[in-house]
Amino acid sequence: MKKKRGLLLAAIITGSILLLSGCGGGDKKGGASGDKKVLNIYSWADYYAPEVIADFEKKYNCKVTYDVYSNNEELLAKMQAGGAQFDIIQPSDYMVTTMIKLDMLEKLDKSKLPNAANITKDLQHPAYDPNEDYSLAYVWGITGIVYNQKFVKEAPTSWADLWKPEYKGHVILLNDCREAFSFALKKNGWSNNSTDPAQVGKAFQDLKALNSNVLAYDTENIKQKFIAEEAWIGQMWSGDAAYCYTDNKNINFVVPKEGSLIWADNMAIPKGCKNKDLALAFINYMYDPDVSAKNFNYIRVPNPNEKAWPKMNAATLNNPMLKVGNASIKKGEWLHDIGNAISMYDKYWTELKTGK
Amino acid sequence: MQKTWRSSVLLAYSLAVLAFLYLPLIILALYSFNDSRINAVWSGFTFKWYQALFQNTRVLEALTNTLIIGFFSTIISTALGTTAAIALHRYHYKFKTVINGLVYLPILIPEIVMGLSLLVLFSQAHLPLGKPTLILAHITFCVSFVVITVGARMEGMRNDLEQAASDLYATPWQTFRYITLPLIMPGIIAGALIAFTLSIDDFVISFFVAGPNSTTLPLYIYAMVKRGISPEINALSTLMMCATVSMVVLAEILQPRHHHRSQEE
Repeated sequence: MKKKRGLLLAAIITGSILLLSGCGGGDKKGGASGDKKVLNIYSWADYYAPEVIADFEKKYNCKVTYDVYSNNEELLAKMQAGGAQFDIIQPSDYMVTTMIKLDMLEKLDKSKLPNAANITKDLQHPAYDPNEDYSLAYVWGITGIVYNQKFVKEAPTSWADLWKPEYKGHVILLNDCREAFSFALKKNGWSNNSTDPAQVGKAFQDLKALNSNVLAYDTENIKQKFIAEEAWIGQMWSGDAAYCYTDNKNINFVVPKEGSLIWADNMAIPKGCKNKDLALAFINYMYDPDVSAKNFNYIRVPNPNEKAWPKMNAATLNNPMLKVGNASIKKGEWLHDIGNAISMYDKYWTELKTGK
Repeated sequence: MQKTWRSSVLLAYSLAVLAFLYLPLIILALYSFNDSRINAVWSGFTFKWYQALFQNTRVLEALTNTLIIGFFSTIISTALGTTAAIALHRYHYKFKTVINGLVYLPILIPEIVMGLSLLVLFSQAHLPLGKPTLILAHITFCVSFVVITVGARMEGMRNDLEQAASDLYATPWQTFRYITLPLIMPGIIAGALIAFTLSIDDFVISFFVAGPNSTTLPLYIYAMVKRGISPEINALSTLMMCATVSMVVLAEILQPRHHHRSQEE
């Protein structure tokens, strides 16, 4: 009995040593003899169709790894700490500005990106990187009013419609400080980047008054609440509205006349990237109309690639919510870093959410 | 009369506490079998989210990463932790209490502080972030738990058997190999199971030290939630929960009730 146990133990130990060395050796071999380059992507979850990445690996005889983060600050921290050797990163609009300021992005060599011209004109000169020197819009969205036609008989046109007393207890707002203040400022005709204490104060008073109508501040479950018709009217991103529409045809979406908040997640190459050519090839590949159509049919979010639109499948193409989004790009205002004024927003935001 | 009244209050209270602890988990698991994409409405029983999960290459990649990292950090931390536990329980030397305290410290240090400090260490040492840094980080916190579990086993064990072996001219190695090791084996296996569980569940520390090609399941779930909670996430969480629970139960079975055992042995 004892001997058997000893044998087992010895087997476990040798086995694990073999595995350990085997794994290490395998990695090295892959690097040296196969000469297969590795492209490391650091992005948001579910931003690529697996098929599209597999095709790229075949075409360029390389391996693509895809790791995910869940907010821009996480991306910034990881890149600043160093040590993470990513070749492609996907910062949002305001984070592109921050990263350019911190000299963290490589200038994009446009001669290697002919497909960049496929991006719709309205997204080619975004305020955060006006000449697209460092970034290309990859996914975008605009915040608007989503509503259920069964309960909201009169189509909303203005942010002010959210304050109508008949929607009491059925309004959902995004659980995000800048998003909330954005529409309250827009309602009053101001910029959603306002740092004027009087304007932000008025926006706070308006939001406080709106609290009695609000069912929840929710970003994670907002789609479910609209599909299940718990919520009648609220604030939503164009892509999410399209998602809701596929499950519930009573859903409609409008970008109010006062304008709204527009955002984009971008393709960018971090400074010091070791595979710059491969990274550029990847970016160019992703803007190929056929590739892009295949990719966005899968990930189902608004595509800035105009040339890919006609190639997308009917369900995506004919989704009226996406059409509303595409037609409203010009109404959008990009958020930018407002510096210390953010503490004023934060203070009001806390009061808003706890004072209920 | 009063006794039954008291015990029924106690029973109700206990049930309430249990419900508070487990109801959310049960609901999460239930909705992973819900036919509808929407969490709020129950529209029928299905396994399709589990099927979708196993066809999702991203999920499978994260699962592979998790298992590779868990495997290596378990093997290494179990080996290190076992030898440390033996050293702490069988030998006497200077600063023993200090060293003892240092071994337990990683359990008490807030995870966020540990993650951050490891990240700083790795970037100062110019170690590229990825699977190796994740394994190193996981070993760091797993070792303490192995030391505790193996130590608990040793505490309940008298060393008369070892002394008897020495009396019968066994070399120290033979004593260790044929007496000590078999005796503490249940503790070692329990420790390894706990280490593996901690490794596959860890989020905070992994969050800091992950790099290219090293997204683990908890990191993947977190990033997915950002896009809204889907039944696939419920399914994935349910599977992780089952894996964790079964390993903890196994470790609990193997973990000796040392008061009884030491008398038997």
